[in-house]
This record gives sequence, C-alpha cells and structure tokens, in this order.
Amino acid sequence: MHILIVDDQAANRVMLRGLIERFGHNVSCAENGMQALELFSHKGADIVLLDVMMPVMDGLTTAKHLKQLSGEIHLPVLFITALDDQKTLLECLDAGGDDFISTPPEPIVLQAKLNAHARVRELSFKLKEKNEVLAYHSNRMEREQNVVSHMLSNALLENELRFDFLQTYLSPATEFNGDLVLSKGGPLGNYYIFVGDFTGHGLAPATGALPVAQTFFDLAERGLSVATMVKEFNRRLVKLLPDDMFCAAFVAELSAGGDRLSYWNGGIPDALFIDNNGEVTNRLPSEHLALGILPPDEFNSSLSHCFIERGQRLVAYTDGVIEMANTDGNRLKESGFENKLKQFGHQDQFDDLVSSLESFQQGTEQSDDISLVVVNCVPTGLPVKQDDHSIIHLPFELKVSLTEHNIKGEDPVTRLVDSLSHLEGIKAHKTTLYLLLAEAFNNILEHNLLRLNSDIKEEDEGFERYYSERERRLKSLEDIEVAIDVNYQPVDSVICFGIRSNGENGYPADEFSPVLDEEKMHGRGMQLIKNFSRYYEWKDEGQCLYIEYDLNLPSV
Amino acid sequence: MSVSREFSNDGKQLIIAIQGKFDFSLVQEFRQAYSHIGDSQPTVIIDLRETEYLDSSALGMLLNMRKSLGSSVKDIQLINAKPDVRRILDISRFDKMFTIA
Repeated sequence: MHILIVDDQAANRVMLRGLIERFGHNVSCAENGMQALELFSHKGADIVLLDVMMPVMDGLTTAKHLKQLSGEIHLPVLFITALDDQKTLLECLDAGGDDFISTPPEPIVLQAKLNAHARVRELSFKLKEKNEVLAYHSNRMEREQNVVSHMLSNALLENELRFDFLQTYLSPATEFNGDLVLSKGGPLGNYYIFVGDFTGHGLAPATGALPVAQTFFDLAERGLSVATMVKEFNRRLVKLLPDDMFCAAFVAELSAGGDRLSYWNGGIPDALFIDNNGEVTNRLPSEHLALGILPPDEFNSSLSHCFIERGQRLVAYTDGVIEMANTDGNRLKESGFENKLKQFGHQDQFDDLVSSLESFQQGTEQSDDISLVVVNCVPTGLPVKQDDHSIIHLPFELKVSLTEHNIKGEDPVTRLVDSLSHLEGIKAHKTTLYLLLAEAFNNILEHNLLRLNSDIKEEDEGFERYYSERERRLKSLEDIEVAIDVNYQPVDSVICFGIRSNGENGYPADEFSPVLDEEKMHGRGMQLIKNFSRYYEWKDEGQCLYIEYDLNLPSV
Repeated sequence: MSVSREFSNDGKQLIIAIQGKFDFSLVQEFRQAYSHIGDSQPTVIIDLRETEYLDSSALGMLLNMRKSLGSSVKDIQLINAKPDVRRILDISRFDKMFTIA
C-alpha cells in the first residue's frame, strides 16, 4: 500500500514514516498541501495522512482537492490532529475527512486504522468494477432493445391503420407492446384485421409479433381466408413460443361490400357489433383456445360468419380495456365499457370515447396493454388488385399434338395455360384463356371423338352419368390425335387458337350457335366461347374450332 | 384437397371452398361437399377466392347443386370471385340464380 504523509513539521514526517514503513507500506512525504497535490497527481496514494495547519495550503483545502482528484474511487483521508478541538474536528469531517489520528500515534491503533481504511478503499475498487460491468450490460441491453424495436417497426411497415373506416386506440403499458393490431386490404377489395394479445409484456411478447405480422401481411395480400391465416399463425407460434406463452387473437375479414364478416376469436373478449347509438346488436364471443397452444392437428380453425346490416360497426378490444382500474381500484368491466359505447355512440365521438377511457384510469398506473379498434362496416372502397396487363411484343407460334396418352388421366389444357401464363401479359388473361381452351378442347373431345350426347345432362343424375360415360369412353380411345395451334401477332395483340382432331364426325351443325337456356345444363360452353372471343368459327365441317382472343379487350 | 367443406360455428352456414381448377374433375367431391346438410336450412356459401380456372362444367355443377338442394337451404351465395371469374358468372347470368357477393 502507498501512504502519503502531509505535514509541515519534519519531525512528525520522520516519526510517521518510520512507523508506517515498519508496517510494510511505501511512504511518500509532502511538506504542504500544494506539494501533496502534485505528488498525488504523479504517484497517487492509497491513504493520505494530512496535517490541518500548514503553510501554502492547509489541510482542509487539500482534503477537498484530493477527494476531487480521486474521483469515483474512495480515497481515505486521515487528519493528524490533537483530539481536543471539537470545532476543528467538525471542519475536518466537512472537508471530507474520514478519520483522525493523534500525534504521537499509538502504533497498534494506527495500524488498525490503516488496515480498516484500506479495506474500504478495496471495496470501492470492487464497486467501481461492478458498476462498469453493470453499465456495459445495461448499454448492451438498450442497444439490443433498439435493434428489436427497429425490426418490429420495419416488420410493421406494411401495417395499414389509416383507413377512413377504421378507428384505433393503442396504448402499450411499457415500451414494447404485448398487444398487436394489424390491418391490411386484400386483393378483392376485402379487408383484414388482427387484434392480438400475447401473454406478458415487454420484449418477449413483442418478438412473437414478428412472425405473426409477416404471415398476416403475406396471406392478406394473397387474399386467403381467415381460417388459413389462423392455422398458419398457430403453426408458427406453437413451434416458436415457450409453453407458458401464447397469443389470444381476434382475426376477421370484412367483404369488399362491407356486408359480410367472417371471424375467428380465440381468447379475446367478446367483439361487438354496435349500431349508431352505440347499442350492442351482436356479440362475437371467443370460441377457441388462443393461438400457440394446440398442436396443428388439434387446432380448430372453423370460422363464424355473419351478414352485417348497414350502419353497423365492429368493436374489438383486448382485456386491457375492461381490466383498467380507477383510483378506487374498481375495474371498468364489460358493462362499464358498453355504457361508454352508448354514451359516445356515434362514430364521430370516438375521440370522446378514448378521452373518457383515459380519464377513467387517470391517476393510476396502466398495468396492461390496451388496444381498441372500431371498424365501420361500409363498402371498403379498397382497390381490386389487377394483374399486369402489359402487352407481349414478340410474335410466337406454338403447336401441341396430343394423343390419347396425353389425354387419359391428364389435363393438357391446364398445363398449356399454366405454361402460357409465364409469358408477360398473358397471366392477367389466364382465367379467360383457360375457359376458351377448355371449352374448345372438351367440345372436340366429347363430341367429335367420344360422340357423347349432351342431352344426357338434362336427365336426373344426368350430370354425373355424362361424366362417368365420358370417363368410360375415354379409356377405350385409341389412335387419336388432337392438335392445338396457338399463334400470336403483336400488331393487333390477338391470340388465335385452332383445335382439331382426327375424329370422323364433326361438331353437330345445329349446335353451332345454340340459343342459351339459363336453367339448362348444357349448351353453355359454346355460348361462353361466343362471349369471350373476338371471333370464332367451326371450320372443316365441324372438325376444327378456330378462336381469336383479343388481349387488349378485358372482354365484354 | 381442392374442395373443402366447413360449417360455421353456429351451423347456419356451410362454406365450400374450391381451390385452383373448378371443373368436372371435381364432380364427385363437389357433390359430396353439399350432401348431408341437415334440416336446419343453412346458407350455402361457395368461396371462390382461390379458384383460378373454371369452365362450363363448373357452371353446370353449380346449377346441379341448386336444383338438388332446392328449398333445403336458405340461400346459395357465390363469394370472393376474382374479377375474371366474376365476369364468367356475370355473363352466364348467374346473378339470377345465386347471390353473388
């Protein structure tokens, strides 16, 4: 240990140095405070023995400076003084003194005091070290939380909460929200909403939001059903979450017309339909276990469906709403919430409803995340997704020759249309192209080659009989050939198809352009070709059907 | 599976969804999907959101269903048809026989 002795009297210095060196410590000496500070700055010291009365700089001033220089690490300062002057003793303590030694000191007392103060100093070193470790971890934690919060906000970039028909109030209890509200339009002008509540608060539940959000946006964009969504959420969460964590959720799809709702509720308080007076007209209760509990084969994804009368609004909320408490410790409960809905029943009063909820729990600390969404069930006005209608610039020709092997148990038309759909500009037309080709192909196959009579379809059970007869005749078909020619010219962007077979009889002339009877089971195919093609013609006495389809015309 | 059948929780609606191609290859499956609907007069909902292709045989199957179910159902609705599919239904004047939503 290094001890610094500061005393203007040489005799004292010599006496103390001798004594302390005998204890086995290193000693430096200074004649006044100024010298002491200089020495301390260069060589430091573990304990300082300080005289009170000195020229140049006295002990009290020196003590203050020394303490300052020592910073966070505790530097024991022991004043050398006679113990009979109470006032000086107090001043020494005020200046930061830790103890006193009298001159001449009792060696054994001095040794004990030095050892005791050395231990305190050692503790202060350890404390500083621990503080540094703590600060490091706390920084790291903060950095990691920032990363997660960054990832979360990126994952939620696709979240569309700004719709005219949607009102939300989201109030997390901590920085990370354990509630999750997701909303997105689908490709049909339909609209999806997800209101979720993970067990617990903070970072852990927030990370559960990542896979749910990504799945939600992906499946909403593809326009899939709520049943498909919840199955996928559950599959992911079961795999991901620890056993004691799950996610209560209300997931719903509103039709583009705003008149039909299909929903799945697992563990969320009853969602409500309210009218324009805020009166509850229908309850959509929880019918399932929360997401992330049941293994996929036990999970129940069956939905509820309801038709919505005009002017109704859907209210969905997490339990944070009804479990909020006022300063008397009384909870709001369902009844309290529904009273507030009545009180602020009109859709323009949503802000008042929110203020009223906030003032209810004013003065208390919010203990749970709060989410409240209100969806006005009107036609969504969301755009219907259109495929890319770009035009193909290269002419092409395609010849497909099919034999019975390509037809029995196979589906050449779907394959052909799927392949064509890979060309730019064709994909947007694939449903219509399939219709035209399928009608043409089936007409040729069923009438020219299989010689089936469509009238069978009109009989009782005739539909099934027709198709089982088709199957039967198809099996014994031999040496046949169906040729499909596809030709495209970019000049007028028309695709032409010619379909012919080597069948002996042609398509019956009296059915070339049938008069459509809407209730009839047959005759519809040619009518559809007529409607969707630019031009069509039976050629070679009904042996070949020629069709033109205009890619510029989103037909009829 | 390209035809799926599910009753809603309250049993008031039977939802039949058809994925991919809707044509005569589903004739048995589709028929089974609307069999055994009970006496509760449910609304039958055909969900076409995942139907990419359909042809006149599918239209025939829908008409067949309508004929066969008759008054044992409250209503038959064709829902979530993509624009191209919807056009085929419209041109065939199916709005006269079904609720298209």
